[in-house]
Amino acid sequence: MKILVTVKEVAEAADDFEIEGTDIGEQYLEYDLNEWDDYAIEAAVQLSETYGDIEVVSATIGPERSEETIRMALAKGVDRAIRVWDDDIAAADLDVAAKTRLFAAVVDEEEPDLVLSGVQAADDGFGATGVSVADEIGFDWAAVVNHLDTEDDLSTAHVHRELEGGIEELTDVDLPAVLTIQTGLNEPRYASLRGIRQAQSKEIAAFGLADLGLDADAVDSPISRTGMYEPETESDATYFDGAADEQAAQLADVLREKGVVSE
Amino acid sequence: MLDYVGLEADLSAEEKLIRDTAREFVAEEVAPDIADHYEAGTFPTDIISEMGELGFYAPNLEGYGSPNVSERAYGLLMQELEACDSGLRSMASVQGALVMYPIHAFGSEAQKEEWLPALGQGEAVGCFGLTEPEHGSNPSGMETRAERDSAEGTSADPSEVVASEDADGFVLNGEKTWITNSPIADVAVVWAKLTSDDGSPVRGFLVETDRDGVETPKIEDKLSMRASVTGGIVLDDVRVPEENILPDVTGMKGPLSCLTQARYGIAWGAVGAARDCFETAREYQTDREQFGGPIARFQIQQEKFAEMATQITLAQLLAYRLADLKERGDLRPQQVSMAKRNNVRMARDQARVAREMLGGNGITTDYSPMRHLSNLETVYTYEGTHDIHSLILGEDLTGLSAFS
Ligand SMILES: Cc1cc2nc3c(=O)[nH]c(=O)nc-3n(C[C@H](O)[C@H](O)[C@H](O)COP(=O)(O)OP(=O)(O)OC[C@H]3O[C@@H](n4cnc5c(N)ncnc54)[C@H](O)[C@@H]3O)c2cc1C
Repeated sequence: MKILVTVKEVAEAADDFEIEGTDIGEQYLEYDLNEWDDYAIEAAVQLSETYGDIEVVSATIGPERSEETIRMALAKGVDRAIRVWDDDIAAADLDVAAKTRLFAAVVDEEEPDLVLSGVQAADDGFGATGVSVADEIGFDWAAVVNHLDTEDDLSTAHVHRELEGGIEELTDVDLPAVLTIQTGLNEPRYASLRGIRQAQSKEIAAFGLADLGLDADAVDSPISRTGMYEPETESDATYFDGAADEQAAQLADVLREKGVVSE
Repeated sequence: MLDYVGLEADLSAEEKLIRDTAREFVAEEVAPDIADHYEAGTFPTDIISEMGELGFYAPNLEGYGSPNVSERAYGLLMQELEACDSGLRSMASVQGALVMYPIHAFGSEAQKEEWLPALGQGEAVGCFGLTEPEHGSNPSGMETRAERDSAEGTSADPSEVVASEDADGFVLNGEKTWITNSPIADVAVVWAKLTSDDGSPVRGFLVETDRDGVETPKIEDKLSMRASVTGGIVLDDVRVPEENILPDVTGMKGPLSCLTQARYGIAWGAVGAARDCFETAREYQTDREQFGGPIARFQIQQEKFAEMATQITLAQLLAYRLADLKERGDLRPQQVSMAKRNNVRMARDQARVAREMLGGNGITTDYSPMRHLSNLETVYTYEGTHDIHSLILGEDLTGLSAFS
């Protein structure tokens, strides 16, 4: 059995940054493993530890720099990695549809039984790639999974999905399937020093568009970024002084005044 | 953290991952509670096995489950641990350099198999007993003694042969003090004079702390290194079997070679503590306003930043050089003495500067510099006091020993 985990290297802006053109200045950015993907990796590695005989492969769309992040995934127990990149991809404004075509081609190549992705990426936050890939490759899917159980023969995944308003949905999904993983599903491990050492000799296979049977059209996008600005933040904070009961009384006054609670 | 001449840019991918993992682990699992542990005088014992699973104990050794990382990676790890608290680095130093190292270097195959994986995983805790109440800087004057205990071995009755072989071994008597982790240890590496051998050579013994006659009282009331457990080891007719002696080392070279390993880690760790002080002061002073603007804009404060950054960078360079020498097997103990001496003094001095730069807030547990400062009083004293390292260097540089 094979699990494919999508792993993204996300950009994080420094507290003080400047916008250059339609992006944040490169010097203000640091790169790290996408938080949601960390949970997806942990889920895959735990499944492989529980069942044995499961290969965990990660797939990343990203430049050479992202190999640092990929090595972290390998150090945490991913068996081998795929990195998709070339000049055409670098030149493109990648939207969800383009990423979907790339990942679908990787799925064609690898034929996994289960695809795990993070619910969203911490930087662009589209939150759509996993489900869009499922649609493209014709797998069943469940989004925003915060609890995962599997049948012993791995035919079915029993999942809890987190919906708006604190509602949870319990669903069964037959494999092959795509699950998008929510933070809190598990406790992602730290890479051990042994894992970090072993990761250095694990394979990161590089694929370009041509290797995946695609051409530059695959990363064409009707969407382009036209501007970037920092939204005005309006902060309206009230501090209450005094002992706990005094603070509580003041808070109660404000809540009444704002009509949150009745007299 | 401060890396003014970009030394970390040249780290290998593996070393960067080790640094990042250690930093993340410390920030998430240890740093949030460390000031509370410091106040309470406790070590966060729940992380002992977590640090073991991550491979933080003696990761630079070979075999027996060790990840066998580079000496530089090991140094980076010590740096990240001590940036949090010297007590955390002490835990790793004692377990790795002072307990696992001598078992690895001087132990029998059976000792290695019994102890190295368990200690490495943090399933067992070890301590290192050298210092005695009357013998600190001059440990070769130690009074703790071991004697061969083979009384029953001479029995003439053949039916007792099996039992007598079991009884073969040693009896230990004496007292060790200032022993990091002794109250929580499962095993102590005890250095003692084997008085029943010619010349009473110093030998190492593995003493399980649950043996009859062993007590490990805790030392209370420390004002330094509070997030680390310290105690004594009292040995009252403690019998250990023959297989508990470290077979492959005789004389002071045994304990001293362990100290060289640990001091190497301290030379790196001290840089971590100083870097944390620097960053805390920088963050505070660029934020705190007096006289209508951030206090970091005043020239007196900027002079302090310049000096602090320069001293930290020089110490960092020394640590990196040591790593290269150690990696290729050319590192001399005297060079480690120079780095321990310089880097700990540097960290202690700069922690004090950072403390003063935080004003009144600097004396609380909310900020790290004063905690580092008081920890570094211990680091200045243990593993060879600053003065003793002066004398080691003095002897190396002049050929004249001040000890005799
Ligand atoms: C928190 C803590 C943890 C420790 N952990 C351990 C441990 O795990 N295992 C262990 O074995 N020990 C441990 N030690 C002990 C430590 O190594 C000793 O305290 C140290 O070696 C100094 O010995 P002493 O305290 O007896 O001081 P002394 O040797 O009495 O020294 C007192 C002063 O005299 C100076 N002095 C001594 N001799 C000379 C000389 N010849 N010339 C000039 N000046 C001299 C010293 O520099 C010092 O300033 C620990 C100590 C502390 C505080």
